[in-house]
Amino acid sequence: MSSSSEGGETVGAERSEAAAGEGLETRLKRLEAIVQALDSDAIELEQALALFEEGVAHVRGAQEILAQAELKVEELIGPGGDQTRDVAVDSDDG
Amino acid sequence: MTENNLDLFASGRDEPDEAASGRADSQPVTPEDQEAPGPTVWTVSQVNRAVRKQLEQGLPNLWVSGEIANFTQQRSGHCYFTLKDDASQLRCVLFRREAARLPALPEEGMSVKVFGGLTLYEARGSYQMVVSQLELSDVEGLWKLAFERTRRKLEAEGLMDPSRKRALPRFPRRIGVVTSPTGAALRDVLSVAKRRAPWLRVVLRGSRVQGEGAGLEIAHAIRTLVAMGDVELVIVTRGGGSIEDLWGFNEEAVARAIADCPIPVISGVGHEVDVTIADLVADVRAATPSAAAEAAAPDQQAIQHLFANARRRLATGLAGQVQRRRWRLERAAEAMNRSARERVPVLRRRVEGAQNRIEALTRRRLAEGSARLAELSTAVDARSPLSTLARGYAVPLDEGRVLRTIGDFQMGSDFRLRVVDGTVPCQVSGEGAPA
Repeated sequence: MSSSSEGGETVGAERSEAAAGEGLETRLKRLEAIVQALDSDAIELEQALALFEEGVAHVRGAQEILAQAELKVEELIGPGGDQTRDVAVDSDDG
Repeated sequence: MTENNLDLFASGRDEPDEAASGRADSQPVTPEDQEAPGPTVWTVSQVNRAVRKQLEQGLPNLWVSGEIANFTQQRSGHCYFTLKDDASQLRCVLFRREAARLPALPEEGMSVKVFGGLTLYEARGSYQMVVSQLELSDVEGLWKLAFERTRRKLEAEGLMDPSRKRALPRFPRRIGVVTSPTGAALRDVLSVAKRRAPWLRVVLRGSRVQGEGAGLEIAHAIRTLVAMGDVELVIVTRGGGSIEDLWGFNEEAVARAIADCPIPVISGVGHEVDVTIADLVADVRAATPSAAAEAAAPDQQAIQHLFANARRRLATGLAGQVQRRRWRLERAAEAMNRSARERVPVLRRRVEGAQNRIEALTRRRLAEGSARLAELSTAVDARSPLSTLARGYAVPLDEGRVLRTIGDFQMGSDFRLRVVDGTVPCQVSGEGAPA
């Protein structure tokens, strides 16, 4: 996620955050379905080719998600826990 | 250690009053105030007071072991019990403030060690020990006792039922953590999360994790996190410590907060050997904070493998589609070829057979025809005019017209007579006569 205006960054961050987790699970499930279809004899060759393309796109999408991910931590503060503040994550992986 | 100076006739040496319940406040009346001669006569209060002092000064605070009997707790919170061994017993009092510090109150028959001072309750003249500390023979015994009591109670309610344990989400996006914001446990959790699943968002609700009131704070933090954090699971965690340090996680309030939680809870308190009530009620028990994070966060390496695997299966799947079609075509072609090849000799035989049959049939027909022809020939010959002529008959002809009857002949007309080998000119010389 590139830094841009704060509003845009937040929206982009939210969208990519939603796409991130959802993307992985959804893509994996879809891949499973595609692979099963390709192993069966119930589809036409044209369809098999199209499914293959879609599957490859999912794999690539997942790899992008993994490559760009960055752990985000926030803390609920205030007596009711209705405010949040970001917590810095240690950069050293010791 | 003061000397055992039982000087009943001492006067004017009043020690300052100590703060102990049941002690009389009045000034002692010394025997010398009395006027009558004879043996010194004390008042009851005086005697009791003196004995109390002897007791309190004569023996220091000490540890005593024995068996608990007749343990009661008054509404005031003060506890009264008898400590006994085989031959003797000692009346004990444990005041409310000290009693509240204990993780659990002992039960009838338990072997305990108590620490306190001996005294006399002046108003009643009863000898007793004022207990300030109480332990089971096992130093952690009272903690374990309290743990067992809570565990039994919650287990009976079904809070620890295996069937209540929920599965963790496979690909969570937001995970919650209840722990100290400054502790090592949080650092461990974040380190593991970052390594395994950096796309996660972690939501922290800080809480004290030991000390007085920690249990309530932890319970409250769990409920707040669930209400406000929009997370898919909660990790409740702290690092290692003594049983007393970890005690907050054994409190009923924490167990209920976990049991009420609508999303899965992972408990990772202390080290491997530490088991708390929170661990038993949670959906997943982890041995350490790191282990808790590992249970919560999917491993990106494993995910990479999953996707790499999927990529391979896509390729083999597509190749399989093509291969299977080609194979089906080849099989069909081969079957056609084989079937065609097999049919040739059959067809050839059939053709030859037909040919033979045609030939045979033809020959027979020809033979039959010849015979028939010969027959007909003979018949024809027999009926042939030539054979008739050959037999001696003649045919009169007039210009090609056959003269058949008498009337056909005119006197003196010419006609020809056809005989077998030619014609003869003739003339009618007379009239014909009927046969």
